[in-house]
Amino acid sequence: MFVGTILYAIINSFILIMMAIGFNLTFGISGVANFAFGALYVLSAYGSWILLNLLKMPYLLSVTISILLTSLFGGLIYRLILLRVRGQALSEVIATFGIGLSILELFSYFGLVGFEYTLPVFIDHSFIIFGTYVDAQRLIIAAVGLVLVSSLWLFTHHTSIGLAFRGIAQDERTALTFGIASDRIATLSVSLGAGLAAVAATIIIPLGSIAPAEGYDVLIKALAVCIIGGLGSSGGVIVAGFVIGFAERFTDTYIGSHWTMIISLTAILLVLVIKPSGLFGKQKELEERI
Amino acid sequence: MKLHARLLAFLFVILLVCPVWSAIGNAQEPIVIGIPTSLGFLEGKESLSAVEMAVDEINAAGGVRVGSSKRSFKVESIDLRDAAPGVPVPEALLGLEKIILEKKPAALVVGPFRSEALMAGMDIIAKYKVPLLGTIAMSPGSEKKIKEEPAKYKYVFRTCLNAVHLVKFLAGAMGLINKEFGFNKVYVMHQDVAWARATAELVKSLYFDKNGWTVLGLESYPTGTSDFSSALMKVRSLGAQVIMPIFDMPQSGTLVKQWNAMKVPAILSGFISPLAGSAAWETFDGKIGGATNTIFELGSGIGSGKVPPSKDFFDKYLKKYGKEIQAGHGPAPSYESVYILKEAIERAGSLDPDSIVAELEKTDRIGVLGRVKFDEGHQAVYGFNPQESCVSTVFQWTDSGQRVIVFPETIAEGKIQLPKGLKSLK
Repeated sequence: MFVGTILYAIINSFILIMMAIGFNLTFGISGVANFAFGALYVLSAYGSWILLNLLKMPYLLSVTISILLTSLFGGLIYRLILLRVRGQALSEVIATFGIGLSILELFSYFGLVGFEYTLPVFIDHSFIIFGTYVDAQRLIIAAVGLVLVSSLWLFTHHTSIGLAFRGIAQDERTALTFGIASDRIATLSVSLGAGLAAVAATIIIPLGSIAPAEGYDVLIKALAVCIIGGLGSSGGVIVAGFVIGFAERFTDTYIGSHWTMIISLTAILLVLVIKPSGLFGKQKELEERI
Repeated sequence: MKLHARLLAFLFVILLVCPVWSAIGNAQEPIVIGIPTSLGFLEGKESLSAVEMAVDEINAAGGVRVGSSKRSFKVESIDLRDAAPGVPVPEALLGLEKIILEKKPAALVVGPFRSEALMAGMDIIAKYKVPLLGTIAMSPGSEKKIKEEPAKYKYVFRTCLNAVHLVKFLAGAMGLINKEFGFNKVYVMHQDVAWARATAELVKSLYFDKNGWTVLGLESYPTGTSDFSSALMKVRSLGAQVIMPIFDMPQSGTLVKQWNAMKVPAILSGFISPLAGSAAWETFDGKIGGATNTIFELGSGIGSGKVPPSKDFFDKYLKKYGKEIQAGHGPAPSYESVYILKEAIERAGSLDPDSIVAELEKTDRIGVLGRVKFDEGHQAVYGFNPQESCVSTVFQWTDSGQRVIVFPETIAEGKIQLPKGLKSLK
């Protein structure tokens, strides 16, 4: 059972990393704490479900369109709403939280609640790893998580847009003097963050079901990971994902499932008391955040 | 003088006509049934539809006789959202008070989802003296309050199953599993809400502990939990033969998916709301063969040919709404409650809440649920024979996607079959 717990803890860690990395990327670059992140996750899942079940599109096409539309929607949120309040942190939080609430409550209002709202698994098969049954979907999550983290690193270190992202993240004014359009890059960062939420939903939702409440849950988990890791720090997100992922599964197995959330929240409080900027957060310092 | 006489005569006629006109006006005014519940959830949605169906039937048949007049029913609903995670009870209570004050219902049907909200809402119901026929919340705590202060809380009735009666059915199904296969090691998993907690603890203390079973684990899960891998690993490593789940949240479907994916060699028998309806077969890609599930009230989620009104209700719902009832809890008692209310109003001959309550207490009706009679806690009595009481059912999913009723024996259509990989000890 110990080995099994480690195995599921690793998978849980990747789930948390997938949930948090989009939120973290957006904050790291544009400085916008996108509190609509959980709602975008749910929006994308419902989008895929509608395309797949109501419009009868093929699965791959449905999720691809849904991811692209969610990215586009993220970009539009920035251009139409956030651009006007950029730099005013409180206004940004209120605006994004309001957008998120509207999206989630609209789904509740239209009655899109029930176990039938789910997405199919990519591969319906289970494997035995070290004596523990693990379904293929969970292994896919771990693999996609690894690929996504590596791709993001390559993107931000070896592409011109990625370097522009880092430039804005380090010092927006200096980046402007180098001809980097900060609003365009910020739009792209919010859009990319939304797209990452959609990718996470596409691979994680098949394990459970789509529900408006998932939006709040995902936001809380993303915030927990980012606060512990340090807002804006990609390395921090990975470490924090593993810290919480392991804490949750081991609490679940050896203490009790109802303590799982308490352990995570206690971890947040402890980190905030000991190191308010998070394990890897270096706010107030001019160091690169991604 | 002549003018005065004419004027007086005219006023006299007006005075005579007014009360008659007013009475005619009142006769046309519909009786409002308030539906305060969580409308965003399957059980709430389908319960509301079932109430509307009963109201349409009653209105089409001429309405409700109140004294000497016939009046129609009218449905007004409000979404309490109390089933959603994180919604505080006071917020749900605001909705309950709002519908009472704004829509002036003669009675409420369905009511809060969460027992916590019902228990707190009982004071509001007592304050405004509006009878409630609850069909979702299940904690026996409300009955205790009624027994302690009947004059105050007498307005609250429950036609759905409560946790105590559910315990009887879960214990009955476990007894059957033990009798058929010799299994006696169980792992209990329940949602961390009042009714599920009470049910799990009661099954343990009243059945498992007294009948030689070993309870290898009794774990509670916060509403919204969507990963059960740790518990399923424990089930495997501890050698549990039976998993008894008690959940009514949409995410509990994940447990079935994980049970299947992790190939856990234990029979799943309890209550998981997503597993109740016929659509579950497609939702879970046909990977639920062998799982048994409890339908809280006959007619909700499944009908039985052995109780024709339950089958009629199930078929009429399909015809009216174009889809089968998927919720295993709520719709049937909601439908039945409207007829119970109609009969109580007709016997009372008025809409006076105390008179309606007095007549509700005398209810003795055979319908969709079986025979409905209320006990002193205003709980509809559930048992194993539909001629004597209301009945719940336990069914099993077959490998071909059929649902076969296996318990109680009075309406059983087949015997429990073990899922692949699990061998009988007998």
